[in-house]
Order: sequence, then structure tokens, then C-alpha cells
Amino acid sequence: MESIIDEFANTLGNLENGEKLNKLLMKALDTIPVAEIIEKGLRKGLEIVGNKYEGGEYFLSELLFGSDLANSIFELLKPYLKRLEADVKGVIVIGTVRGDMHDIGKNVFKMLAETSGFKVIDLGVDVDLELFIKAIQENDPDILGLSALLTTTIPEMKNVLDELTSAGIRSSIKVILGGNAVSKEFAEEIGADAAVLDAVEGIKLCNKWVGR
Amino acid sequence: MSTNRERFKAVINHKKPDKIPWIEIVFEETLLRWFREGLPADEVTVIGYEIGRAGTLFTNWPTFKGFGKIYDRFGCLSFFGCMLLVDVGPVPRFKQRKLRETEKHVDILTETGAIARRPKRSEFEFYAMPQFIEFPVKDKKTWEEYKKRLDPEDPRRYPKDWDTEGYIQLFETYNKGPTLLRFNGFYGFGAELMSIPRFVTAFYKDPELIHEMLEHWEYFTIETIREAVETLKGDRIDLVFWWEDLAERHGPCISPKLFRDFLLPHYKRVTGFLKKNGIDRIMVDSDGNLNPILDEFVAAGITGIWPLEVNAGMDAREIKQKYGDRLFLIGNLDKRELAKGGEAMRKEVDSKVPILKELGGYIPSADHVIHVEFSLKRFQEYSEYIKKICES
Repeated sequence: MESIIDEFANTLGNLENGEKLNKLLMKALDTIPVAEIIEKGLRKGLEIVGNKYEGGEYFLSELLFGSDLANSIFELLKPYLKRLEADVKGVIVIGTVRGDMHDIGKNVFKMLAETSGFKVIDLGVDVDLELFIKAIQENDPDILGLSALLTTTIPEMKNVLDELTSAGIRSSIKVILGGNAVSKEFAEEIGADAAVLDAVEGIKLCNKWVGR
Repeated sequence: MSTNRERFKAVINHKKPDKIPWIEIVFEETLLRWFREGLPADEVTVIGYEIGRAGTLFTNWPTFKGFGKIYDRFGCLSFFGCMLLVDVGPVPRFKQRKLRETEKHVDILTETGAIARRPKRSEFEFYAMPQFIEFPVKDKKTWEEYKKRLDPEDPRRYPKDWDTEGYIQLFETYNKGPTLLRFNGFYGFGAELMSIPRFVTAFYKDPELIHEMLEHWEYFTIETIREAVETLKGDRIDLVFWWEDLAERHGPCISPKLFRDFLLPHYKRVTGFLKKNGIDRIMVDSDGNLNPILDEFVAAGITGIWPLEVNAGMDAREIKQKYGDRLFLIGNLDKRELAKGGEAMRKEVDSKVPILKELGGYIPSADHVIHVEFSLKRFQEYSEYIKKICES
């Protein structure tokens, strides 16, 4: 028989209605520690959504709705968590580079990263490279996520990487690139650690980097 | 010898013309680059004589009408040489105005009612896509309010010089390229009014609102274009240019199931209305990976696709093999490779155009607009090569 936590994860993964999910959550809270609900219910459910997206069964509509469901559950769980910070997998600084105002892909990544357990510091769009450096020096993140949609703005990604090197902090951080204009070849060319096709691939990689 | 219009029509109807045409859209920012690189502006400028200064000067006055001669100069066709300008936007428009300003950005209320944040640095000011920070439709209440601006009966939707006889003659005699009717699709308008994330999740969170919006958009579209379609029915309108932009690199932004459950009936009624009036070449304009949703498009009555973005995994050769004469295709030449020029450009053209020419129902074009990374010299080189291939 399916356990409550598995049923919860599958209900979320199958995007069944929020009411059923809430009922299962309340039931789970009677017997299962909150940290376990988050890890084996919420994140597992989100992983199912991500896998279905990558497998071509789900599309952006389902990915965003799944994240939306997970976010609302996460909000319900917050009062039960004594120390949210303790559950943070890692810290990611993200931003769309200077000259580029696109934010949809970055925001999808942010939503998934937060529900997957990362603390995300979002610098927004059209971010000057000095601001990236300042945020890294102040927050000591594990990962820097750079986004750009336009072929005309991706050269700015190289400028950020060069600045990281000049500031002596390049080796202490992983750099991941996202956005329509980037490619794995481009990431290699400018010395980034990776470029990803979509947010789901990005989260998988970030999980791997922080050893989870 | 055939005219360019006859050639275009032959291809999109899966017939073999004496030579296949080549079509592009040149982005304005690219033109500015080309002017800086030596393209003489007066060679491509179009001047029209009309009542001066938007009707304030009661005399015929030479008026700047854009750089449309760029297409003649390079020997390619333009989509927009003969397009009926029916206004399918909000009427009245929102009054565009500056809302606030910081050292780096300025926030503007746009004509669609969204708030756009634009960078102030001069090199990005004009052509950088803005960040949309607020959208006009958020829920049923804001939709009901917005809907008042989407009245198909508003007489301001048709051109000032609209008359049936004159337009019939124009659409019958134009021969430089296709005649066109353009409007916006069910996904495109919703995402534009609500933002992509809010719109695509609303299919799950508020399906009733989505049904209401789509229902109205169908009514609005058909009734707005009705007079034009019924006037120019038959073969006067060669192509319907149906803007959607409903896909990203991974696939469509809404799943094929949502498309079938929500959009398909409305698509069918609009394409049915067009086909009843003899207009059956209906092309969806969407970037991104459309492969998972092509069956749905065909079922919806769509008969053509542009621009077939290579970076998103679209391959016109595969689509042609699978769909044959059910879809005509325009585009799919990787803009990044074309802009490199030389061997990279020739390889891209050679790997696709000869095969697709043979398969039929294909018109060569870049897989989006000719963007600013395309130098004048490279475009000249590309134009000479592609024309040679088209004529061979």
C-alpha cells in the first residue's frame, strides 16, 4: 500500500487538485516530521514534475503550475519549521546580465530552486557586473546563475566571469548559464562551469554540485 | 514569366513555380547598422504622398513611410508589402506615458496597458526588449474591464481609406509578393495581457477565466476581420499571418492537451470562417519548439509555419517528411550560421534548401528576423548565394 508521503508526492507530481494535496498534507503532519514531508513529499513531487517535463509529458504550463502548488504547500509548512535556514541546501545568486531585461526563464529557475531547498538571492534584470561581484562577496554563495536571452547580451556573461577572476573569487563558485542564446559550447568558450537548456536541468546540476 | 506573388502562392499551395522565392524580415536595428556600414539610406527609403502631418496639413505632402525598398534592393520578398491594416489591438489605446524613472531605468505605461521597464543607457534604449513588470489582466474583474477595449464594432479599426472597390483592386493587382492579413492568436493575446506565467497557470487555477477570454477573442477576431475577409474573399488574400509565439526551446508553453481542451475549438471556428471565404493558407508565427504541437495545429486548420527556430530543435526536412502537403514551411535557416557568412552560411543553405525545394511547399528564410549581428557585407553575400540556389 502506498504510504501517505508517497501519495502526497505522486499527487503533486500528477498535478491533482490542491484540495486533495492539502488534505494529504494535514494527514501527513500528524505522523511525519516536517523535514521529511519537505524532502520526501514536496521535493519528490517536484522531482516527478521535473522528470515529466524533461520527458516531454509536461510543458511550461505544468512545470509552473507544479511549482505553484509546491510553493503554496511550502508556505503552509513554514510555521511548522523552527529553523528554515538549517534546511538550506546551498546559496545561489542569480541575475540577468547587463543590457538584458528578460526574466521569465530566470524566475522559473528561481521558483524551482527555492522549492528545491536553495536560498536564492535574485539580483533582477540588467544587472551590472559590479553588483554580481558585490553580492558574491557579501553572501558567499555556492553557485552563480547568469541569464541572458539575447545574442547581443551574452558577451556580458564573459565580462562577469573575467571580473570574478580579477576579484580572485572565480575558483570559489560554480557558474551556470541559462537563456535562449547560450549553449554548452559558449559556456566552455568563456570558462563557465555549465550552460543548461532549461530550469529543470539547471536544478539537477545545482543539486549535484552541492552534493544532494 | 511568373510574378513573385504567383511564385509565392504556388509554393504555399504545394505547386512547383519556375523558381522558388526567398523572403525575409529585416529588423530596424539591423538597418541602422547597415546604414553605418555604408548602405545608402535614400536607396531604400519609401516616400508616400498623403495629407500632411497626420491630417493637420490640408495638402499632399511627401511623408516618410519606412525603409521598405530594402527588400527590392536585395531581391527578396517582404511579408508586409501588401497587408490590410485592420487594428486588432485595444481601442482606445492606453495613453503611453512615463510613470517613474531611476538612474538606470524608466517605467512606461504601454499602449496595451502593461508597464514596461526600459534601460536608459543609450546603447540599449531603443531596441533592448523591456522587462514587463506589470500586466493589465490579473483576474476576472480586470479582464471584464479590459474587454471594453476589445470591441469589434469600433469603426476606428479599419484604415481611413477603407473602401471595398479600391482594396479589391489593390489586392488583385499587387504582384511583388504575397497579400496578407495579420491578427493575433489565442495564446499570444492571453500571454500578452496576463504574462506568460500567470496565463499558462490560469489554465489550471482559473479555467473559467481562460474559457471566457478565449470565447471573447474568437468573437472579437472574427467580427473584426469579417468585413475585410468578406470583401477580399476568394484568392485576394494569399496568406494569413497568425501571431502566437507560444513555444520556448523545450516545447510549447501550454501542453498539447491544454491546447486541445481549450484552444482547439476556437482555432477551428476562426480557420473555418476563413476557409468558408476561400482563405485557406493560414500560417502560425511562433518561435520555439513546436514539434509536440504540430498535430494539433494541423487539426486546428493551420496550413503553414514560420520561422522554425533551429536553436529550438525545429527541422523543416523532418517536418516535411512527416506532414507533406499538410503544412507549408517558411524559414529554418539558422540565423546564427547565416550571419557567420562564408562556408558556415553556405553549409547551412546547402544542407536544407535543395532538399526542401525538392520536397516542395518550402520558402527559404532565416529562422527569425534578420538580426543586428548580420553585417551588410554578410547579408549581401547570403542574398547572392540564396538567390542562386533558389533559381537553380
